[in-house]
Amino acid sequence: MSMLMDSIGEAAAFEPMPSPKITIKDLRFYYKGDVAALKGIDLELAEKRVTAFIGPSGCGKSTLLRVLNRIYDLYPGQRATGEVILDGRNILEPTYDLTELRSKVGMVFQKPTPFPLSIYENIAFGIRLYERLPKSEMDERVEWALRKAALWDEVKDKLKQSGMGLSGGQQQRLCIARGVAVKPEVLLLDEPASALDPISTAKIEQLIDELRADYTIVIVTHNMQQAVRVADYTAFMYLGNLVEFGPTQKLFQNPDQQQTRDYVTGRFG
Amino acid sequence: MTSTVSVLPQQRATRLPGLGDAIFGFLAWGFALLVLVLLTGVIVSLVWGSLPALRTYGFDFLISTRWNPVTEKFGALPAIYGTLVTSVIAMVIAIPVSFGISIFLTELCPPMLKRPIGTAIELLAAVPSIIFGIWGLFVLSPIMQTIVQPFLISTIGQVPVIGLLFSGAPYGIGILTAGMILSIMVLPYMVSITRDVFETVPAQVRESAYGLGATTWEVVWRVILPYSRVGVIGAFMLSLGRALGETMAVTFVVGNTAKIATSILAPGTTISAALANEFAEASDELHLASLLGLGLILFILTFAVIGTARLLLLRLNKQFGGH
Repeated sequence: MSMLMDSIGEAAAFEPMPSPKITIKDLRFYYKGDVAALKGIDLELAEKRVTAFIGPSGCGKSTLLRVLNRIYDLYPGQRATGEVILDGRNILEPTYDLTELRSKVGMVFQKPTPFPLSIYENIAFGIRLYERLPKSEMDERVEWALRKAALWDEVKDKLKQSGMGLSGGQQQRLCIARGVAVKPEVLLLDEPASALDPISTAKIEQLIDELRADYTIVIVTHNMQQAVRVADYTAFMYLGNLVEFGPTQKLFQNPDQQQTRDYVTGRFG
Repeated sequence: MTSTVSVLPQQRATRLPGLGDAIFGFLAWGFALLVLVLLTGVIVSLVWGSLPALRTYGFDFLISTRWNPVTEKFGALPAIYGTLVTSVIAMVIAIPVSFGISIFLTELCPPMLKRPIGTAIELLAAVPSIIFGIWGLFVLSPIMQTIVQPFLISTIGQVPVIGLLFSGAPYGIGILTAGMILSIMVLPYMVSITRDVFETVPAQVRESAYGLGATTWEVVWRVILPYSRVGVIGAFMLSLGRALGETMAVTFVVGNTAKIATSILAPGTTISAALANEFAEASDELHLASLLGLGLILFILTFAVIGTARLLLLRLNKQFGGH
C-alpha cells in the first residue's frame, strides 16, 4: 500500500492524478476454494483516462478486469472479497444491481464476439435492454455508436447484413460500438487487439485514443508497446499481486521496482 | 538407433508406394457405394412391390379414405393423416419442453444437478419403444380416458370450431395419446442435441451478452438461439423423422382404425402402425401391394422432411455467413 502511495505521489510530478472513477481496496479473488488469483489489490482508476494492466500470462490482469463488471458472477464458485467502489458504491455487494453495473461498465473481449444478428441489430441489442427508442432515434443512436467506433463509413450501406460477415478488425470495432452504444461510463478492454492484424490494431488504438475523452478505459494487454501508446497509467501485475502502478512513462522509463524493470525491458515474461 | 536410421531408406525403397493407400481407398469407396446400392435397392423394391396397387387405384390411392381389406378397397389417406397429425402433436409438445430442459441444463442448472438430469434424459432414449407402447396402453391410456380426455372435452371441447378437435367420447387410446407417447420418445433426442448445440456457443459470446446487462432470458432468445439455430433445426427435423416412422409404441395406443375423425381424441392409424398390424395377414396381392405403397409414402415423407431441413439450413447459412 505504501508503495502504491509512493508511486501515485510521484505521478503528481507528471500530472495531478484525476479523481478516481473506481477505487479498488484489498481485492482478493478466488476461482475456486482458497487459492487466491488476486492477492489483495489496491488501485485507483482515474476518470476519463486510459489505464493499462500489463504482466505475464496468469498474473491476474484479466481476472482483475473481470471483477470490474462482475462477469465472473456467471460462474458458480468464483468469488471476490474486498471492495471495488464505483461512484461511491461497492459493486461487490450482493445487492448491487448487475444490470445497472453492466450498463455503466461495458466490456470488449479478446476475440471479437459479434452476435449472430445484423450489424444494426448487434448495436440495437444492447440499447434495447435499457431504453425504448422510437425507430428514428434508434437509427441515430446506432449511427452515433458506429461513428464513435470509426466503423460507420465501412458498414453504412450494409447495416442489414450479418455482423459475422465482417473482417476480424471490423467485428472488434462493432463490439466496441456495441459497448459504447449503451453509453457506459467505463469501458473494459481485454486484449482487444491481440487477435488482429497490425492495421486493425492501429485502428483500435486510434479509437481508444478518441474514446478517452468520454470514458474511463481499462485495457489489459500483452503488448507493452501498446500500453505505452495508449495508456495514461499502467499497472504491472505479477502472480496475483500489483507490483507497481504509475504514469505509463514513468513505469516504463523509470520504474521503482526491480521486477517491473526486468519485465518492461524484456528480461522475463 | 543408428541401425534403424540406416534401414529406413531401404524399407521405403522396397515398399510398394501407396499400395496400402490404394486398398484402403478402394474399401472406403466400396463401403460408401454400398449405402447408395442399399438405398436404391430399398426404393426399387418398394416401388416394384407397390406397383399393382398404384396401377389399380392410381392417384386415388393417395386421396381415398377407405381402407378395407375385405372389399379390396385401399386408400392411404387415413394412414397419412394419422402419421402427420401424431407427429405434429409430438412436435408441439416436445419442442417447448425440450427447449426448457436444454436451457435449464446449459444456463440455469446448478453444476451438481447437471449430470443426473442429463443422464436421466439419455436413459429415456435407451427405453425400448415396446416399453413405451405397453406403458402407453396400460398406464397413460387409462389416465387419458378417465381424467385428461373428459377434462378436454368439457373445456376446450365446448369452444366453437377448435372444440371439434376435442369432441367425442373419451376412448383413452387415439391420435392424441399416440402423439403424446411420441413426444416423450423424441424428447431425449431433441434435448441432447439442442443441449450440445447450446454448449457450442463460445463462452465469450455469452459473456458479451451478459456483459451488456442482458438477462438470462434475453441472452437465450437473442443470442444463444440465433447462434445455434442451425443445430436446433437439425434436432427438430431428426426428431420429426423419428416420430414419423415410429411403429411399436404408436401401434399400441393409436387405436388402429383407418378413419379420419375431426377429433384428435378419436382412434386413428398411422402408416407404420398399419404396416405392423396387417403385414402378416396380407394374403392377396393387392393388399400387400397397398401396404408396400404405404411404405413408399412413408419413405417419401421422411425424405421430404430431411430434404426440407437441408434446404432450410443452406438458406440460413447463406443469410448469416455461416459459422
